[in-house]
Amino acid sequence: MGKTARHLRPLAALLGAALALSTTACGGATDASTAAAAVDISGSISGQTINYWSMWKDGEPQQKVIAAAIADFEKETGANVSVQWQGRSNTEKLVPALNTNNVPDLVDGTFAKLAPVIGETGQASPLTSVYSYEVDGKAVSSVIPEKFTSNGVFKGEAGQPWMVPYSISSDGIWFDAAKHPELKAKPPATWDEFIEVLDKLKASGTAPIAADGDVAGYNSTWFVTALLRLKGAGSFKELVEDKSGKGWDDPAVLEAARKVETLVKGGYLNRGYNASKFPAQQQLWANGDASLILNGSWTPTETGSYAAPGFEYSSFQFPAIDDKPASARVDFIGFAVPAKSQNQASAQRLAAFMLSAKYQNALGTEAKVLPVRSDAPVDPAVASVKAAIDAAPATHLQNDGVTFPGFMEKVFFPKDDELFLGKTSADDFIAKMKDAQIQYWKDNG
Amino acid sequence: MTLDVKEPRTDGAAAQSPGSRKAGPRKPQRGSRPGGSSIDAQRKKLLVPFVGPAFVLYTVLFIVPALGAVWISLHKWAGSGPMKFVGLDNYGRIFRDQLFLLSFGNTLLLLFVVGTAIFVLAFALTLVLRDMAGKKIARNVIFFPHLINALVFGVLAGFIFNPGGMVNSLLAPLGVTDPPKWLAQDNIFPLIMVTLVCTTTGYFTTILMAGVDRIPPYYYEDCALAGASAFQRLRYVILPLTWDVFGTCAVLWTISSVKIFEIVWVFGGSSGAGVPPTQSWTAAVYTYVNAFSGQSTPAYGAATASAVLSLALISVLVVLLRRAMRRDAVEF
Repeated sequence: MGKTARHLRPLAALLGAALALSTTACGGATDASTAAAAVDISGSISGQTINYWSMWKDGEPQQKVIAAAIADFEKETGANVSVQWQGRSNTEKLVPALNTNNVPDLVDGTFAKLAPVIGETGQASPLTSVYSYEVDGKAVSSVIPEKFTSNGVFKGEAGQPWMVPYSISSDGIWFDAAKHPELKAKPPATWDEFIEVLDKLKASGTAPIAADGDVAGYNSTWFVTALLRLKGAGSFKELVEDKSGKGWDDPAVLEAARKVETLVKGGYLNRGYNASKFPAQQQLWANGDASLILNGSWTPTETGSYAAPGFEYSSFQFPAIDDKPASARVDFIGFAVPAKSQNQASAQRLAAFMLSAKYQNALGTEAKVLPVRSDAPVDPAVASVKAAIDAAPATHLQNDGVTFPGFMEKVFFPKDDELFLGKTSADDFIAKMKDAQIQYWKDNG
Repeated sequence: MTLDVKEPRTDGAAAQSPGSRKAGPRKPQRGSRPGGSSIDAQRKKLLVPFVGPAFVLYTVLFIVPALGAVWISLHKWAGSGPMKFVGLDNYGRIFRDQLFLLSFGNTLLLLFVVGTAIFVLAFALTLVLRDMAGKKIARNVIFFPHLINALVFGVLAGFIFNPGGMVNSLLAPLGVTDPPKWLAQDNIFPLIMVTLVCTTTGYFTTILMAGVDRIPPYYYEDCALAGASAFQRLRYVILPLTWDVFGTCAVLWTISSVKIFEIVWVFGGSSGAGVPPTQSWTAAVYTYVNAFSGQSTPAYGAATASAVLSLALISVLVVLLRRAMRRDAVEF
């Protein structure tokens, strides 16, 4: 034993040193970042280098448009852009980088991914100067539709915007207009008309609605949108924020759950939707084995390769309930600049540059996505969605912008899945959600 | 049957060089001799230069991050920005979280139920394959699934079990018009368990077979001469002589089973497009979703707390296993 102890002594000393090292290493992480002020970005940026971590991978249609814009930007300003085409995991890589001084100068991503990691943690620079910067002779703030920004989604802690969107996505109930011209001519505007359409489709023998029931985010769109139709944009977030959980007693909330229950109980969903693996059901739909699918504006590009010959993409909005003004879902893809970036002016200039008409048009016609500028043309496949967004009086985010830690994944999605997959009734869903939400806020309040 | 059973292993015995085993009849209790030979003194001097660099690397790359994780688990932290010290709150919270208990239960199911199935099958296969013609080919065939990335099984599950998939297409001509909902949320975890048994059994069979192959044939001849039955041969020759291999396999499985993640992620969660249904979560998935789900503000504190608990679980289980499996080492 004595011998073992002698052997261990030097090891113990090493371990002690390691412990001391680890505690000092972690001490730095507690420092709060300093809030940056808006910077003047109008001066010359020639010779500066911007480090940009992109959410696109080499070869994607959006990547090609952005790469072309960067080439022009370098020529015009004399700045250098060093791009890493990282793909969608760029936000995951951003989190650890933000704890160091080695941050990218510019990142892009969806609002839903950027907001939790950089927007709401106070790690982003205010981009007020980008919004007032002029592209094509017009301020950036005037080319982004006002209804996208008026509800203050991009406002950070100090009330200044931290994100500049260059593209958007939305959703709709998609169908093949070649097969169903009647839906294109007169889409169901109200819930009752929608159920009529479903009944007709069911009687004709095809499955009315296809749904990939294993994607919780798709399933939740039904309940959340129904609730927003009944109570307006922002009402789901309001319901979830309520620590007492009393909001769930509101009859309108039950009504929204009942609408989902109607779809499930009415047999309108394609058989097997509750036991399949994405993308089986959207493939079925694209092959014409089901008529409708509630899905994002990316549906034409995502299903284009396997759609039935002659498939003509068109969509209508989730129907209105009780003739309330219906908001359209608009999710944003755009730039943010980390507060620790040393190249604020040049990074922000590049963010503004993407809002030029040339690249906005290219996003619409070449990448076939929805540009953020409403004056940019889009591909015919998503024209129906663009028309709906242009006509909508207000907009809402996916899941109404709820990002409380773990709430969607651990509290809402499992219960909403039960409702949508037919394992629980609307009343039970409401009761379970109320309890779970009270517990959530007890633990996380 | 006479097997040469040596004295129980002392802790110091692990450090012995393989060569020392063959050296004649050993003196008992060498480790406790006070002064030690000059070789022992030399060995002591070399401990730090030889072990030191590896120890420093290991400390910097593994122990420091692990201690860092413990430190983070005492905070409320979104991964960047300010950290708020909350003491042991994260631990209390995850123990109250039904979902963590469910995930942890699933991890235990994998560890014990799947583990038992794997070892029973692996042992059975070992015995069958030992005498089989073409055992090398058979061994390669059963090892093969282990080489395939779990992602492939996740994607294949869709082809096989979708409502219009292979299984249902094969069942349809047999008159099964209402087949089970294979990929319903509640069925995913049992499917994952079956898949794991299929993919992992071959791996452990290979290791166990290496142990069984090591047994000198004259023991079997001895058995035949003594008229031992197949069961007696297993009980008195094969099991005792492969016990240490078996113990190592059990530890390997314990460690890997607690970390099972990717197969759950791709089996449910629409091949990674979303989060898998909570019914199939393991502790590792729970940890990941808390930190990186990408759909909400990351909760690094809760995530690391659950990772630290998993580490504690592995440590306790490995110690217990080593204890339970401890037998007199049989050398031959």
